[in-house]
Amino acid sequence: MKTLAQSNVGLTAGPRRELPITWQLSGHARRLATLAIAGLFFAVITRRAEFAGLAAPALLLLIGFRADRPSAIGAELITSAKQMTEGEDGAVLLRLTGIDADQAHVRLHPAPWITGGESELGDDGWHRLPFVPQRWGIRPVGTVEVTMSDRWRLTESRLTMSVPSVTCRPQPAVLDSLVVLHKLPARLGEHTSRRPGEGIEFAGVRDFVPGDRQRRINWPATTRRGTLQLNVFTAERAQSVVILMDVSTDVGEPGRSSADLAVRAAAGTAMRYLAARDRVGLISFGSQLQWVAPATGRRQADRIMNLIMTTWTTGHPLDMVSALPHTALPPGALIIVFSPLLRLRLVEALRALRERGFAVIVVDVLLAQPRGRAGAGRYRVVAELARRIWRMEQEAIRFSLREIGIPVVAWDGQAPLDEPLAPYTRRPVVNG
Amino acid sequence: MNNVRSLLAVSLLAAGSLAWAALPVTGARAGAKPILIAAICCAVFGLARLAAAGSRVRTASDAKGLPADSLFLSTPDRLWQQASSALFAVPWPQLLIVAVLGLEALHPRRPWHTAVLGVVLLGYLVALQVAESGARLAVFGVQLPLIAAGIALAGLSVAAAALPASASGSGSGWLAVLAGVAAIVAVGLALPV
Repeated sequence: MKTLAQSNVGLTAGPRRELPITWQLSGHARRLATLAIAGLFFAVITRRAEFAGLAAPALLLLIGFRADRPSAIGAELITSAKQMTEGEDGAVLLRLTGIDADQAHVRLHPAPWITGGESELGDDGWHRLPFVPQRWGIRPVGTVEVTMSDRWRLTESRLTMSVPSVTCRPQPAVLDSLVVLHKLPARLGEHTSRRPGEGIEFAGVRDFVPGDRQRRINWPATTRRGTLQLNVFTAERAQSVVILMDVSTDVGEPGRSSADLAVRAAAGTAMRYLAARDRVGLISFGSQLQWVAPATGRRQADRIMNLIMTTWTTGHPLDMVSALPHTALPPGALIIVFSPLLRLRLVEALRALRERGFAVIVVDVLLAQPRGRAGAGRYRVVAELARRIWRMEQEAIRFSLREIGIPVVAWDGQAPLDEPLAPYTRRPVVNG
Repeated sequence: MNNVRSLLAVSLLAAGSLAWAALPVTGARAGAKPILIAAICCAVFGLARLAAAGSRVRTASDAKGLPADSLFLSTPDRLWQQASSALFAVPWPQLLIVAVLGLEALHPRRPWHTAVLGVVLLGYLVALQVAESGARLAVFGVQLPLIAAGIALAGLSVAAAALPASASGSGSGWLAVLAGVAAIVAVGLALPV
């Protein structure tokens, strides 16, 4: 059995609260009373003493009703973490004082999108109620129900406590490889550029000129050619990556909707590029437009994650997407778009960005297909026709984007993002 | 697994008490058959309620849908929900106890048989409490002396009932019942609880 110290290192206990409780007759007591009264009733009616004997055990067990019971108990309720990730194991911890552990039964009634488990009682007196959030967002965990009974099981009391909400971050999509631009800005980083520089990637040899560092002389080449030859290395540069997350439309099965996929893909992509020391920014295209300007580092990761978790009700008008300031969309940046491509305003903005020379890659996160009722006769034909027209429109949108040099790849939300992006991670993407 | 075992125990004890009280069907007075049918219904509904309570908890744990889903139920689902709520509201075990005792009372006098029925019904109530609360059987250990005293009193009542009546008048039956009740009260007051 796990103890609090083993399972939740570094936790500080929440405030202890004194909760008044009221005791009520339990179902067991009611049934015993029924057996006793019915036995006595039949004994009197039939004048048979054995029925009174039948009532004896039940009547004697009801004597325990006189026992003392506490009028209040102490309760400490905490969650193992305030911030979690989808699918991560969490726990609600509850410690009750003023009542024996075997007299209390604790159960978690999970809220939607929370999966609960059976309660475990640790050696340290803490009840551990495991739970797993299944979908990102600020999620209420649910309620904890404590059912207490006296040691005779004749009275019981129920107590319900709300568990504080947890902030559940999206499960970042897996992305190992990177899409790198053909022309990298002159900023120190980790991507190998085509220009010579101070990196560690060998590019070739050239003649020595006065002023060059002697430690870079390539002696085998010097011996072969008869003149001093110098090793040349490529420069290592960082790029600016702007992720455009389209959550303006949310279609599909909850948990695997277009917004869910866009959010997970944006989180995974941002974390991957930040790990490669690139400057990463995020544009959230929701009911309003919001952005985080590109930057590097751990704090930027927090800023991006905070924007992803923000409710999309405040920000700038959506028309601004094609006229964003340079701080939000630096020249020469790589733009990776996660969108179901259902908003024509966004499609137009992508065209405008491409015309301005940005390298844009669109990852299509639309899984849902229109479904209509299987009607009869004419209506069925019309519905099928409407579906076909819709599909053709969608194909036309994607075709028009490819025609102007914006690759559109589809992602199903299950496979790593490397799979759809593979054609663009093997060689640099041309920009400018 | 524990839930299944306790549900099985409750089922066996309910069926056992029913069969014990009902047999032999031919020897009972008029009215035994309707009571037997009612008792069987009570046992079945009681077990269904117990099983449904367990599955309700599991369903709530596995719930993934939005809370609004429960607001837009179809008519069959809504009817099923109302029926299951009604099923939960009726105290089926209490009705089963009354029906079983009624069945026993409709049979000719058989004191030892009634005492055994009392023990089986007590076992049914304890098993039901274990199944409902999920408590370990060990928590009932503290009640063992009381149960033993109760069973001893039941044995005494069987012995008293088996004695031939000193007088043939109706007062002897009353006196036996009163003596039984007095013995229960005396033991109850004497036990240190």
